[in-house]
Amino acid sequence: MSVELLLAVAFGGSLLTYVLGKVSPKLRNGFAVLNALALVVMIGFFYGQSFEKTLPLSFLGINLALRMNMLSWFFAITILGVGVLSVLYSIEYMRGRERLDYYYATMLFINASMLGTVVAGDLISFFIFWEMMSWSTYLLISLRGGRAIFAGIKYIIMSIVGSLAMLMAIVSLYATFGTLDITELAQHLQAASMGYVMFILVMFSMAFVIINAFWPFHTWLPDAHAEAVSPFSSVLSAVLVRKGLYGLYLLMYVMLGFRVLERLSVGVVSFTGVLSWIGAVTIVFAAFTALLQNDSKRILAWSTVGQGGYMILGLSVATSLGMAGGTFHILNHCIYIALLFFVAGAIEYRTGGVRDLNSLGGLIKRMPVAFVGGLVGIAGLIGLPLTNGFVSKWLIYKSLILEGRPFLALAAFLGTWGTVLYGYKFIHNIFLGQLPDEYKDVKKVPFTMALPIVVLTVAVLFFGVLPGIPLAVVDAVGTNLGFKSLDVNVWGIASETGTLNTVNLLAALLVAGCIVWFVFKSRGKSVSVEQHDTYAAGAAVPSGRYQYSVGFYNPLERMVVPCVRDFADAFFLKLADGTRVVCRGVRRMYTGYLGDYVMYIALFVALLIFVQLVWSPW
Amino acid sequence: MVSPVLLVAVPLGLAFSVPLVGLASKRGAAFVPVVACLFNLIVSIRLLPRVLDEPIVTSIGGFTPPFCINLFAGPVGVLLSTLIALTGFAVSLYALAYIKSGPTVRYHTIYLILLVGATGVVLTGDVFNLFVFFEILCISSYALVAYFGDRAGLESAVKYLVQGSLGSALLLIGIGLLYGVFGSLNMADIAAKMGSVDRMSVFVPMALIIGGLGVEAAIFPLNAWLPDAHSSAPSSISAILSGIAIEVGLYAVVRMVFTVFGASSMLLFLVFLGLLTLLVGEMCAFAQTNIKRMLAYSSIGQIGLIVFALAMATSGSVSGGLFQLVSHTLSKALLFLAAGYMIYRSGSTEISSLEGMGKRMPMTSLAFTVGAFSLVGLPPFAGFPSKFLIVRAALSEGETLLTVLIGLVLLATVIEGAYFFRVVQAIYFKKGGEDTTRREAPAVALVSMFVFVVLILVIGTYPELVTGALSSGASELLGRANYIGSVLG
Repeated sequence: MSVELLLAVAFGGSLLTYVLGKVSPKLRNGFAVLNALALVVMIGFFYGQSFEKTLPLSFLGINLALRMNMLSWFFAITILGVGVLSVLYSIEYMRGRERLDYYYATMLFINASMLGTVVAGDLISFFIFWEMMSWSTYLLISLRGGRAIFAGIKYIIMSIVGSLAMLMAIVSLYATFGTLDITELAQHLQAASMGYVMFILVMFSMAFVIINAFWPFHTWLPDAHAEAVSPFSSVLSAVLVRKGLYGLYLLMYVMLGFRVLERLSVGVVSFTGVLSWIGAVTIVFAAFTALLQNDSKRILAWSTVGQGGYMILGLSVATSLGMAGGTFHILNHCIYIALLFFVAGAIEYRTGGVRDLNSLGGLIKRMPVAFVGGLVGIAGLIGLPLTNGFVSKWLIYKSLILEGRPFLALAAFLGTWGTVLYGYKFIHNIFLGQLPDEYKDVKKVPFTMALPIVVLTVAVLFFGVLPGIPLAVVDAVGTNLGFKSLDVNVWGIASETGTLNTVNLLAALLVAGCIVWFVFKSRGKSVSVEQHDTYAAGAAVPSGRYQYSVGFYNPLERMVVPCVRDFADAFFLKLADGTRVVCRGVRRMYTGYLGDYVMYIALFVALLIFVQLVWSPW
Repeated sequence: MVSPVLLVAVPLGLAFSVPLVGLASKRGAAFVPVVACLFNLIVSIRLLPRVLDEPIVTSIGGFTPPFCINLFAGPVGVLLSTLIALTGFAVSLYALAYIKSGPTVRYHTIYLILLVGATGVVLTGDVFNLFVFFEILCISSYALVAYFGDRAGLESAVKYLVQGSLGSALLLIGIGLLYGVFGSLNMADIAAKMGSVDRMSVFVPMALIIGGLGVEAAIFPLNAWLPDAHSSAPSSISAILSGIAIEVGLYAVVRMVFTVFGASSMLLFLVFLGLLTLLVGEMCAFAQTNIKRMLAYSSIGQIGLIVFALAMATSGSVSGGLFQLVSHTLSKALLFLAAGYMIYRSGSTEISSLEGMGKRMPMTSLAFTVGAFSLVGLPPFAGFPSKFLIVRAALSEGETLLTVLIGLVLLATVIEGAYFFRVVQAIYFKKGGEDTTRREAPAVALVSMFVFVVLILVIGTYPELVTGALSSGASELLGRANYIGSVLG
């Protein structure tokens, strides 16, 4: 099987989906799911392969190449896995909406171009796929209209700024070394001067940092993720933003390598050091901003910003353990955030589009599958033991402490505390507390939406109990990038300073669980009361007056609000306003008065002759 | 054996036959430009491989250059005449449906004459002949801008006329002065003698000629007529004005500066002028709420980018500039044609009135989107390889100044992206008014739009299709000695 075939199926499937939609919507839905599934099966065959091949095509005289190795495979499987689940989820979620042909085709097109970026073997095809991904994402973010319009334009402008910076770096590499093949560039760059490497790094990082939403370039993400339709929010949060990390992996460890990176420092300031502090700021800032959100999808969007910070901490520590933590966290985040967006989407779907956490509550009995999914997803997000997030966070903390970066570790802990708080708010305000009357008749999650939720829930727990299975892949990615192999077992990981054994944890949990169960069992039956009884201790209270989930963290919010202010967002908005004002000013030059226009022409010619007469520069 | 003379003579003859055909059938008259452009397209494409080997110099009247008027069909000339014929062909198809009311026979006559003027300018090898063709082009565009006869059209046509005539007058004085200095009107002959006279006596005609041609080429600050004229003309004419007329004006400037004057000391000034034109154009376009004015200002910006690239005067940058010219012509013509029917449907030129067009006219909206993405320079559309080539040319010089300037160029691209993405969102994602019935543009207009769509996609995915011709075009523009040699023998 060849990579070209994979890409052909991906892009061809997208076009064919659109065409089939004109024939029959059922056929289209079925085909879209099958296409996405076929891609997952196909990528499975590439496991463990490592090759690079030059295509018989060229673009402006630059040879195009494709490559496949563990790094590409790892990102490809996350893209395609989330892709198939979100397409499946869309069938019910999107039913009855307008423009479904367009929706499915664009969704598959975005998947295909993301796949393209990770299997590209040279920077020009990487850039082409990258840009295709950017504009198709913009088209899909804007789908809902209304506030999504603003989110879409914000995204595409920031993304285009980044990709143009990247274009400059790519072209400059081509002008300097005469090739854009990643492997060849890696050799050339070893001997490049530090100033030049810095220029390349900064220009590329612009694109990657923006797409991965690091502070202070995170501002597009909360809007875009909240306003997109939920299945696509999953794709955005789980895999699309991580293309930025793929880019950084490619740039820092494939093309430059540690030796070059180590040399990149002035005194105590080094590139990886700056990067890790950006990661730390991102974690803390995003965690506490998430706490203030009252929109279910916005909380998740901010958590995507914050969790990106953990990955960058792992990446910039640059030890085997740190890399494993960062890479594994990419996978884990991909699983639980997709799950959480599916849950938020299911709530939205059943309640008629409600995302406001102040008006939801008590849905645990009405939507049990969504509750279990949400609980497990939040547990993974927080990093509770026996969920997948625990293992990757453990690795990241461990590597930070081993490398002697206690302040970064503190930032990471601080972020986790914030995560616990907003994670609980998410669960409590949607599923616990009293059920508002208007949601008395809410139905269960439909099957095709429940299936992806169940699959991902199982994955969170499975990878939490048996982390060795994904860690083997993660370790292979690390060794592919030139890091030392780790001692990975099925139940966890051994390192010189301690061993993680999740099976022991599971056993301990089971024992503790049994004890708790027996204690409760032995104490007679509890009395069930009407849901509004709890507050007034038996006295009659008008139902609907007391809702636990309204203003849930009020005192805490009052404390946090003065400390977290999104200066970056305010700055960018002001910049946009300023540009608008300047543009209007420039436009005034065209006064509409013919006399002025004639004067411009006469003055131009006169000025040319005058300058030549006086200074004769020409 | 096809001769470049046919490219001018046959359409000119057909242009004057339009009124005669019109006597028999008004409908039939509209088909004459289609036939003429198709003829020119075929001839140009057949000439193209030949001129890539060696330029064809055709003397008229039996004398040898410099004593006669000669045509010089080099790679650039034939490339542009192909582009003119192609765009002319697609737009004349569009006009079959679009031009319904008013003096239609006269429209088709003048339209064809405009294309003859444009083709003449890019093929001629004589300065005065250039002036004549240039006037043909300009005067017919004044007439066509006022085609609807409404107040806005007339007003902008008069403004255009005044500024255009001022430009032509400057050009004519400049040519007169040149003739006084050199006693010759042949481009190659003047170029050959350029070194023998003192600089100041050449500079004044050069300033006058750059100023004069610059008006039609829409170089800042000579371009104030453009937003009015391009926005109030019928959309088919806007497409031709933005896609062909200003590019031809630009060609004339470049031919004068590069070949006739060989003014390499002016180039840095032109680089800055191009950048300024680009920034001003894009910023003004960003401030527009009227779709056609926005497109017109964006044309100014694109012209600035082309000037910027050409004036860097390396073989890479000139072929990048020519590529940008080609992709701009295709994209902008497409945008105007698509916008034309959307405006026709909504009855207003405000961007807000395009809301919901994605449902009402899906094919037209798709065409518009392709044009917009291509102009912003996104892959896999034609604008991407051209932008890539320009950036590459600027960075491969390795000069800090050019690196900074190309940074500014890319900043302008961001502004351009911002306003085009806004329009695309308005078309597809904003809720329109009550009327959501689906009624497309007529089939023939859609065909003409999809000619451009297909070309944009093909060139965007396979740019090698044109790069060969473009790089020989670049070496023609930069190879002054070869030009002189091939004309004067």
